[in-house]
Amino acid sequence: MSPRAILARAAPVLACLGLLAVWQIASLALNNDSFPTAIEAIRAIPSILGDKEALINIAASLRRMAIGFGLAVAMSIPLGLMMGRSRTVASFFNPLLMVIYPVPKAALMPIIMLWLGVGDIAKTLVIFLGVSLPVIYHSFEGAKAVEEKMLWSGAAMGLSAPRRLIRIVLPAALPEILTGCRTGLVLALITMITSEMIARQSGAGNILFNALDMGQYDTVFAMIIIVGAMGIGLDALFERMRARLVKWSEPQFDIPLSFS
Amino acid sequence: MNARALTTDVLLGLVPIALLIAVWQALVSFGYAPVTLLPPPGAVFVRLAQQLVTGSFQQQIAATLFRLFAGFAIAVVLGVSIGLAAAANPAVNAVVRPLVRVLAPLPKVALYPALLLLLGFSHGSKITLVAADALFPILLSTYYGASTVEQKLIWSAMAAGTSSREILFKVILPAAMPSILTGCRIGLVISCIVVFLAEMITSTDGLGHLLVTAARTFQAVDMFVPLITISLLGLILNGLLEALRSFLLRGFPEV
Repeated sequence: MSPRAILARAAPVLACLGLLAVWQIASLALNNDSFPTAIEAIRAIPSILGDKEALINIAASLRRMAIGFGLAVAMSIPLGLMMGRSRTVASFFNPLLMVIYPVPKAALMPIIMLWLGVGDIAKTLVIFLGVSLPVIYHSFEGAKAVEEKMLWSGAAMGLSAPRRLIRIVLPAALPEILTGCRTGLVLALITMITSEMIARQSGAGNILFNALDMGQYDTVFAMIIIVGAMGIGLDALFERMRARLVKWSEPQFDIPLSFS
Repeated sequence: MNARALTTDVLLGLVPIALLIAVWQALVSFGYAPVTLLPPPGAVFVRLAQQLVTGSFQQQIAATLFRLFAGFAIAVVLGVSIGLAAAANPAVNAVVRPLVRVLAPLPKVALYPALLLLLGFSHGSKITLVAADALFPILLSTYYGASTVEQKLIWSAMAAGTSSREILFKVILPAAMPSILTGCRIGLVISCIVVFLAEMITSTDGLGHLLVTAARTFQAVDMFVPLITISLLGLILNGLLEALRSFLLRGFPEV
């Protein structure tokens, strides 16, 4: 590997280190009791991860997120694709989705809690709602942009409509769908944290906001690092999967525009 | 699309919304859900109409809107300028790309406690949170749009003697505009969501605060009012953005 390639690989790590360094300098400069230095926060991480209770909480969060995300993706992609290919389906669902989209899903938490209790079901449902909208939207846009000629050739060769949807529209819309899934992943994390903050019962969000209420600032910042690492880790995993699935459509990002 | 097809589309679209309200009403009137938990839709809309004309409710909306717009505006300015700079300049690109890779997937709500501790409980922390959450979709789609501008366009501009600064504003920015606006749309929805959440977590005013107070006092009707209001606000803002989009993109094929 050339030194350049090594540098490109290490760049995200360097960015992390840089951010931590900025944090350290800022906290030293501000010298505020409620803003611990990066080193203090990192020192608090082992005590959280060593605590069995906290680990169970974080695992419960991840489980809810995985279930909610999985269900949402499984349901939203077919719906979005059908909306993209059929004007009737699209005009049936579009207004409803437009009404629901700007409503913060975690804000439904207090209402859903009244019906389903504070347990897993309510939180998973909220995550499900949060993830499904971007995935539907992007699948819809992706399916709409499929080239008509390919569909016509498929139809001419005798593919039935549902098979055309699976064999032609799904692969052609896949890059766009995966963009939606990535947005959904970030939204799932946001919804997970906020739902747990509202229904303080278990989970990573619960630890974070309890620590804030009790003034354990190093735990607050350590949890921020842990949650952030979860986000970055999941995103990296997803990116790896995406790169495999849609290698053929990679945009040529690495060629910078030349005009200077 | 002719006018008649448009009306059928609109009518068809109203069906699921009407169905939703009908199911809601049925749940209440057939006694499946107690009125204390699920108020009938009529009561909710009447309360919404009553609230909308009161001054105090309008002040809450104004507080929310102010934070929303301030955060969103910061995100647009930063996102577009950083995105363009990263697409145009390899040195900036080398710095921005790893930073974005690390910061974009970070759930920004988790940063909110830190923002609270640093910026206090007033506008500052909420606006920063909104800006941080709306920034990345805008930045990424600006970067994507600007880096996929056809090189031929740039070469022709260069051949015509355009300076590189002018190329940035006269060729790349307009060519990237559709992508930028898509990013803005996602950023706007996210701003709506995040401003509400931030107000739910800690606030003394705004729509999110109304919801939390209603939930704490078990006023089910008052819980639905802010939710419907934020949904309406989102619809209106989306419509405005759509109008801006068709104005800015006039002349583009298929907007």
